[in-house]
Amino acid sequence: MAEASTQTIHDVACGFCGLGCDDLTVEVEGRTVRARGDVCPEAARLLKRLDVADRPASVAGAPASFDEAAEAAQRILSEARAPLIGGLGADMAGAGALVDLAVRFGGVLDHYASEGLFRNYAAVQRTGWLASTLAEVRNRCDLLLVVGDDPSATWGRLFERFFPADPLFAGTPRKVVFIGGAPGEKAKGQLARADVLHIATTDLVAVLEALTGFTAGRIPPGASFGGVAVEALVALADGLRNAHYAVVTWNAAALADGDLVAERATALVDALNVTTRAGVFPLGGRDNIIGANQLMLWRLGYPLRTAVRGQVSVHDGSLYATDAALADADVLVWVSAFRPEPPPEFAGRIIALAHPETVFEKEPDVLIPVGTPGVDHAGTVFRMDSIVSLPLGALRVATLPSVAEAVRRIAEG
Amino acid sequence: MRLRLKGGRVLDPANGENGVATGSARDIEILDGRIVAPTDQRADAEYDLGGDVVMAGGIDLHSHIAGGKMNLARLLMQEDRRAYPEMPGNFCGCGGGRAVPTAHATGCRYAELGYTTVFEPAMVGSNARGAHLEMADIPNLDTGAYLVLGNDDFFQRLLAAGAGQEQVNAYVGWMIEATQAFAIKIVNPGGINAFKFNARKMDLDEANPHYGTTPRKVLTTLIRAVTELGLPHPIHLHGCNLGVPGNDETTLATIRAAEGRRLHLTHLQFHSYGTEGDKRFSSSAARIAELVNANPNISVDVGQVMFGQTVTASADYMSQYRNRGIASPKKSIGMDIELDAACGVVPFEYRDKSFVNALQWAIGLELFLLVEDPWRIFLTTDHPNGGPFTTYPHLIRLLMDRGFRNAQLATLNKAAQAHTLLGQITREYSLEEIAILTRAAPARILGLTDKGHLGAGAVADIAVHTEDADREAMFSRARFVFKNGRLIVKDGVVVELAQGTTHVARPDFDRSVETEMDRWFDAAVGLKAKHFRVADGELRGGAGPTILKCEGVVS
Repeated sequence: MAEASTQTIHDVACGFCGLGCDDLTVEVEGRTVRARGDVCPEAARLLKRLDVADRPASVAGAPASFDEAAEAAQRILSEARAPLIGGLGADMAGAGALVDLAVRFGGVLDHYASEGLFRNYAAVQRTGWLASTLAEVRNRCDLLLVVGDDPSATWGRLFERFFPADPLFAGTPRKVVFIGGAPGEKAKGQLARADVLHIATTDLVAVLEALTGFTAGRIPPGASFGGVAVEALVALADGLRNAHYAVVTWNAAALADGDLVAERATALVDALNVTTRAGVFPLGGRDNIIGANQLMLWRLGYPLRTAVRGQVSVHDGSLYATDAALADADVLVWVSAFRPEPPPEFAGRIIALAHPETVFEKEPDVLIPVGTPGVDHAGTVFRMDSIVSLPLGALRVATLPSVAEAVRRIAEG
Repeated sequence: MRLRLKGGRVLDPANGENGVATGSARDIEILDGRIVAPTDQRADAEYDLGGDVVMAGGIDLHSHIAGGKMNLARLLMQEDRRAYPEMPGNFCGCGGGRAVPTAHATGCRYAELGYTTVFEPAMVGSNARGAHLEMADIPNLDTGAYLVLGNDDFFQRLLAAGAGQEQVNAYVGWMIEATQAFAIKIVNPGGINAFKFNARKMDLDEANPHYGTTPRKVLTTLIRAVTELGLPHPIHLHGCNLGVPGNDETTLATIRAAEGRRLHLTHLQFHSYGTEGDKRFSSSAARIAELVNANPNISVDVGQVMFGQTVTASADYMSQYRNRGIASPKKSIGMDIELDAACGVVPFEYRDKSFVNALQWAIGLELFLLVEDPWRIFLTTDHPNGGPFTTYPHLIRLLMDRGFRNAQLATLNKAAQAHTLLGQITREYSLEEIAILTRAAPARILGLTDKGHLGAGAVADIAVHTEDADREAMFSRARFVFKNGRLIVKDGVVVELAQGTTHVARPDFDRSVETEMDRWFDAAVGLKAKHFRVADGELRGGAGPTILKCEGVVS
């Protein structure tokens, strides 16, 4: 066979971190794939493919055909008393098939990255919130509050995407205030045109509470809050009140008290909207968690962490979180198509629909390697804001089934 | 596959047939999903209707059934889902909810009422792909969506720059195609955009604080665009000042602003409030109905308020933010969206002992009864904003049964009773008029020529109801419903799930606009225009849409 020529594909959409970049350039040569140019380290790592043979499906560690593996998986599911369908790293078609699987065999549905989502839900389900989306932040946000650690490590192009050179409305320089961790070099580079301030604190909740108070014209007693001097907070509150469109962003998954941070950030934005405009922009969205959650809301009426049994769905954010549900489960269906995320420690039987490079501590009872949406096959994923979704294209000819195909085969037996 | 429905009293106003009035029964024949002229050929199945009333499947032209705001409502109102669990015979364990039912429950409950086509009236372009994915999971219904336009910064910039109508038309055409929409909806024209610049109210001739554009200009420009693009449905307008006492003047001015061109005013009830009386809240239904009656270019749907808990969800964040304080339970969500639109989700309980809610109820019924032409008024509760669509049978009885209506009225807030003419209105809708409101007229205003009637060639979407003097009982439960000639409901229960289609409109437009769209999406939105676009194959699990090709009109 002649040497494959290198093909350069532009405007590739990326479905890994939830930020939804769709301007990537990728080189494809036969079965090898590598990102080129302006790409974050995570996308570069997760898009990269070498020309290696696919790992075969296996049953109890022994190589098996796709059909044999699917049949074995169906046998296990038919005997299962309490399956947990976890990981849930799948595109929309895969997520839909997994909901069908839960309806058919019963099971708890959760995504491996749902901790941050449910910390945010502590706020959104109790009081609701006033939110914003990427294009609004890009063009309107004149004061951005980044709460917690610098999120650039997780979302490599976040500030580049937030602050393009020529926003439609926000004047320059735009202001960015980091509350908590200091901005790293990458963030500083992307924010070169902005006015960046860092307020160090270990008590984000106290600082947000005080800011809300000052914003609403209340002066809580004390000379400092969370170790930050009153003067600095009053100045920041003034800045927020005078901003045309302030945005508060945080990554609840990285904050142990993320639920409280979400609640206080929501309250601050509520207070600001009385006289000016503002929105929350909660960070998250890895591996189409938002899409899976959206789908469950319209299919089952409940978000992730829902159990389907006897054609009835029950939601419980604590009981059906992966860790808690594992304690009661006898079978784990582990799904991770976007990245080689290994399943959690589990004594019961494991059916893995996994990225072929996944390293397992214990060989799963059934392994079906699956293709990656946006690399091996087309698919749809949601961005973190839950509004925009992206069509991912295939970069090479698929040799592995998609999650949807694998699940359908399991259901058919 | 040939089916024969034997001996039904056919109520088909679009074709001038009223078997209920004449008492004559006849057969209806279906071949491969379409109605055909009766033959003597052997049928694969026959259904003896025994004189039951046969109508085309119901068409709801305004019901919020899909899209991001409905999911936000589900997320916010988990109590609604818990209070209304799965119903028996649901096939997949995913039914549930009343104000914001799941996709599955939406399809099943509508089918049980005899409805087979429902339009989502507020799809935000940036959320189009998600809305279409969700619609694909609604069984038993054909769907379609109206694209929310007019508050987007691209359009506002065009207007502010004094762009020509051709440029506007090209943009509107591109957006309709890119988002796989069926019609254009304007929500609070320019107001959602103005709220992003911190304006808190916006009247018909008020200037946008940033662009200087007025709602009137937004409205007239888009009316012209849909006319010249040849879209079958006129501009579907959610006007300015929703829910504000005194918005009657705005509504009257809006009707006049159309200057004789076609315009559909949606959930008119919420826009028919005066400021008379000691509570500064009164009904202007009579004044507004009078102007609607005098302007044959105007069509309306009511957005009737029905008592009980619901959740309101709208792109009108400006109004929804204003209503945050009266949320019940006390929580709400708002969102500015993508230089495109916005949304606001506010749970609300309409109470019959509340003066305002009781009067809202009466205003809606006044509109129904005072607008004379049943071809220009449609039966809606603006589901779920005025109440869930499952209350339609009760609403139909209120329209058809004066004694029942007045008995209900007598139980409401006393002051509200004193502020409404309702008790004196003697009109009762006939069955034929109900058939016009709920099938024939919506099909006509949507330009769906093979729906809403039972003539040869029509899609075999058919509802059979056993006549009952209690009209609520009659319409609560279809005896049979056929979707594309397949039996999906029997004796009020869903017996099979059918996959519907999604209607889209396809106008011709000047494709040179694409360069500009690419530039806009790259620089401002931060998303590639080609990824914003929803491909045909993304609809209905790869089946693609049902396309209505539009014949444009040269201006």
